[in-house]
Amino acid sequence: MDVQPDTDPAMVLFSPDAADEPHKPYRHLLEQCPVARSDNGSISGAAGASVLISRFEDLNWALKHPEFISSEDAVAIGNDRPLIPLQIDPPEHAKYRRLLDPEFSPKKMAALEPDFRVLVNQVIDQFLDRGECDFHEDFATPLPSTFFLRLTALPLSDLPVFLQWRDNIIRPDVEPGDFDAAAEIRAATGKEIYAYFERALDDRTAQRDHGLLSRLLDAEIEGHSLTREELLDICYLLIIAGLDTVTATLDCMIHFLARHPDERRRLVEDPTLSPVVVEELMRFETPVMVTARTVKQDVTLGDVELRAGDNVTLVLGAGNIDAEEFREPETVDFDRGRNRHLAFGAGPHRCLGSHLARLEVRVALEEWHRRIPDYRIPDGAEFHFSPGIRQTDTLPLVFGSG
Amino acid sequence: MALPGEMKIEIDRELCMGSGNCSFWAEGVFDLDDDGIAVVLDPTAAPEDKIILAGQGCPTQAISITKDGEKLA
Repeated sequence: MDVQPDTDPAMVLFSPDAADEPHKPYRHLLEQCPVARSDNGSISGAAGASVLISRFEDLNWALKHPEFISSEDAVAIGNDRPLIPLQIDPPEHAKYRRLLDPEFSPKKMAALEPDFRVLVNQVIDQFLDRGECDFHEDFATPLPSTFFLRLTALPLSDLPVFLQWRDNIIRPDVEPGDFDAAAEIRAATGKEIYAYFERALDDRTAQRDHGLLSRLLDAEIEGHSLTREELLDICYLLIIAGLDTVTATLDCMIHFLARHPDERRRLVEDPTLSPVVVEELMRFETPVMVTARTVKQDVTLGDVELRAGDNVTLVLGAGNIDAEEFREPETVDFDRGRNRHLAFGAGPHRCLGSHLARLEVRVALEEWHRRIPDYRIPDGAEFHFSPGIRQTDTLPLVFGSG
Repeated sequence: MALPGEMKIEIDRELCMGSGNCSFWAEGVFDLDDDGIAVVLDPTAAPEDKIILAGQGCPTQAISITKDGEKLA
């Protein structure tokens, strides 16, 4: 993709092929317009003007100052009320995080590791003998979704409908730029999601199970149980965030490792490198390209004035290849040392599920490379990454060194 | 101030991004606080070599470990 200097910055980022090689648009934004006004709709799905922020330092500041760059009302994805905790800013926000953080803490996640490792191997068993697979369809999609349904103790048979909802919300099937049609699909899907969780909560109110929803029903904030609306607003966010992002991350990472045998060999020969590989590829690939905010108080960034009410797109992926923060930012370097990447955001709204994601991705990479150390993308394979949250539509792989 | 022979573990709260990798390497020694920033819970909860791995494995190099004036990570 060649970027014309006068192209609208949002169009640079959300052009159909931008997610395939996102470093190009990121570089354009960093070099030409690190704080950029766009006349086009933002990632939030809202039509109208938006401001794109791309430099590491500006992003880090914006993420840590919700009193200026707010997460309230920033994304309209079919929800009737703010999503909890994403769209509640401090100080109100802290009480929800204090309740939810322990459910997704590193310690809690570490206890899940043996169970998850078994699941990874069961998924691999399904296709190993074939000598090939569609990585996206056969591995990256079922693995995190199945585990999510286990954590929430929801029936595995509901997975197809969950995946359909996820797609309707995150990448509704409309003509690019048709915000009204997208909003209609999201609103209809939102109603179905609320109705589903109303029933799921009713069932668990009658009889508790071992899953997360039952624990939320018994949880208390400042001596009070969560209201039904609060419970629904948490569930809505969990299903959207829990089903999509790890799939995208796995797609991005295996796509990279399939085409970079030297880096892959280092991981195969030394599996203890896996936590470092995860962090460096999170930075380099940034599966969640952007996150949405709105301006709450007027503030000047660079030489651009941001006004209360402006839509903001935080281009996390651009910040992650900003040479002001990262030495040789467009090189994958497992020995880079300090890697303060923004792939999970930062500040009060940092990703709630980051420790679950890290566990899933690390263990998936370890087990995959233990059992399938050599693989490649067949010549002529056609696939694309979706913009926003970068997952492939299909990712064919053949196993072996041939 | 650490006593002779004791490890001194310090966390730079500005650098820490709350990856939780430290508690992966040295469970029980580190945890995350309400702000998602690493804290030292119990410096004796894991062997020293694990704690040093945690320091070296911190993706933001926010953990510094010294013993008897010598920098270990």
